[in-house]
Amino acid sequence: MEAKDNTLLLDLIRDKAEVKSVKAGCWRGECGLCTVLLDGKPVKSCLVLGVEANGRDVKTAEGLAPEGQLARIQQLFVEKGAMQCGFCTPSFVLTAYYFLQINPNPTEREIREFLSGHICRCGTYKQMIEAILEYAKELKQEEEIPLPLPPRKKKQKNQARSD
Amino acid sequence: MSFGSPYLTLPDFQYLRPTSLQDALQLLDEHKDDAKIMAGGVGLLAFMKERLVSPSYVVDIKGISELGKIQDDGAKGAVIGAAASLSQLLDWPPLKERYKALHDCVWELSDPVLRNRSTLLGDLCEALPFVDSPTPLMIFDAEVEAASVKGRRQIPVSDFIKGLAETALEPNEMAVAVHLKPPPENSNSLFLKHTSNSEFSIVNAAALCANPSRPEARVVRFAYGALAATPTLVREVEGIFQSKGSISQLMDEAVAAIKRSAEPMTDVLAKAEYRAHMLEILAVRALTKLLKE
Repeated sequence: MEAKDNTLLLDLIRDKAEVKSVKAGCWRGECGLCTVLLDGKPVKSCLVLGVEANGRDVKTAEGLAPEGQLARIQQLFVEKGAMQCGFCTPSFVLTAYYFLQINPNPTEREIREFLSGHICRCGTYKQMIEAILEYAKELKQEEEIPLPLPPRKKKQKNQARSD
Repeated sequence: MSFGSPYLTLPDFQYLRPTSLQDALQLLDEHKDDAKIMAGGVGLLAFMKERLVSPSYVVDIKGISELGKIQDDGAKGAVIGAAASLSQLLDWPPLKERYKALHDCVWELSDPVLRNRSTLLGDLCEALPFVDSPTPLMIFDAEVEAASVKGRRQIPVSDFIKGLAETALEPNEMAVAVHLKPPPENSNSLFLKHTSNSEFSIVNAAALCANPSRPEARVVRFAYGALAATPTLVREVEGIFQSKGSISQLMDEAVAAIKRSAEPMTDVLAKAEYRAHMLEILAVRALTKLLKE
C-alpha cells in the first residue's frame, strides 16, 4: 500500500484499505472510535502515522473471527445489548478484547479505568461492562485462554497491512 | 490535546526515522526549526492538524533504543528517556516508591490507551500552561538533558519553560532525557490538580516533605503550575521550614510566600482571582497533608 508521509493510520485504514469499521470521531485522540490493535496493542489511529504501521500487524474488529462468524466478545456485546447506534462498538470490542488479555479477571472499576479514554455517546457503558465481566467469567472456566486468531491469508477485508 | 480540530488532515511533511541519536541530531542541525521531534506524536500530530506547527520534517525517535530507557541514575536518582512511554513509566516500580508526586501526575496525564504512545518529555516540551509534568518534576530537582551536534547540557526544569509554547531548547537541540535527583530520605510527596469539567488544569501543585517533626532534618518543597505561562518552584518554602517555629506558624509563612510569588493569568479556563484563590487552597491542602498527617 502506498501513501504519502502525512497520511494518518486512520485514513490509511478507511480510505486505502477501505475497512470502514474503524471510525473517525474527534480526530484528536479523545473519543477512541479510531482504536485499532497495532501489533496487538490498542492505539488511537488518528494519532498514528500510516507509515508507522509499515511491516506491522494491524487488527480491526473484522479480524477477531473468521468471515461470517463473531468472536465470543462480539457475541456477548450483542447478547447484553451493549450498543445502540453501533458507531463505537468496533472500537470498544477491540479494546475489550485486548484488555481481557492483560487483565483476565478485572473488577468493574478496573474496566471503567481502562475505558476512560473511550466515549460512547449512546451511553451503553453498563451493558459493555456486563459483557466484559461475563467474558471474564467464561475465560475463568476454560482451561486455557483462547489464543488470538490467526491472520486471514486472503486479501484485506479483515486486516489492513501496509508494506 | 487541542481546543478544536478544524483540519482533519496533516500538512505535508517528510517522515524521517533515524536509528541512532547521532543521526537525529544531524537532522536537527540541518533543518533546525523546520524539523520537529516525534515520540508518541500525541501532542505533535494534534497541533499539526490545527496548523499550529507545520514542520517540513518529522523526526520519529522511537527507533533510537537508548532513548527508550528508564533506569536508576547516580545514587538512586532516575533518568527517563525521551521515547519512553507513560505506560513504561507507570510500570517502573521505583516511580511510585520514590517519586509519588510524579507518579500521581503521570497516572492522570493520559488515558490507558494513549499511555502506550504518550511520553513524559513530550508533555513537558509542549510548554503550555496546563501541562502538568513540570510541577512534580521541579520538586525533585529535575533537569532536562538536551543534546545537539555540539554536545550535551543540563537544563533545570524550573528554567526549561520560557513562555507560552517556548522551551529553553535551541533550534538544533532536542531533549533526550529528564534526570531526577534522589529524593530526600523518608520523604513523602504528592500532586494536586484542580480543574473544572475538563482535563486542563487551572492550578496544579506538587509538594515534598521529609522528616516533618525534626527541624534540623526537615525538607519541604513546593511547586505549582498552570497558574501562568511558566510553572514556579517556590524556593522560599524550603528555607522557611528549616527554621524554628511551630508547624502552623511555618505553614502560614509558607502559604504567604507562595501567594506572594503568584502572578496568575486570566484565560478561557479561569480568571486570575480564581486561580490565586485556588492556589492558596491547594497550598494549604498539600502542606497540611504532608506535615500534619
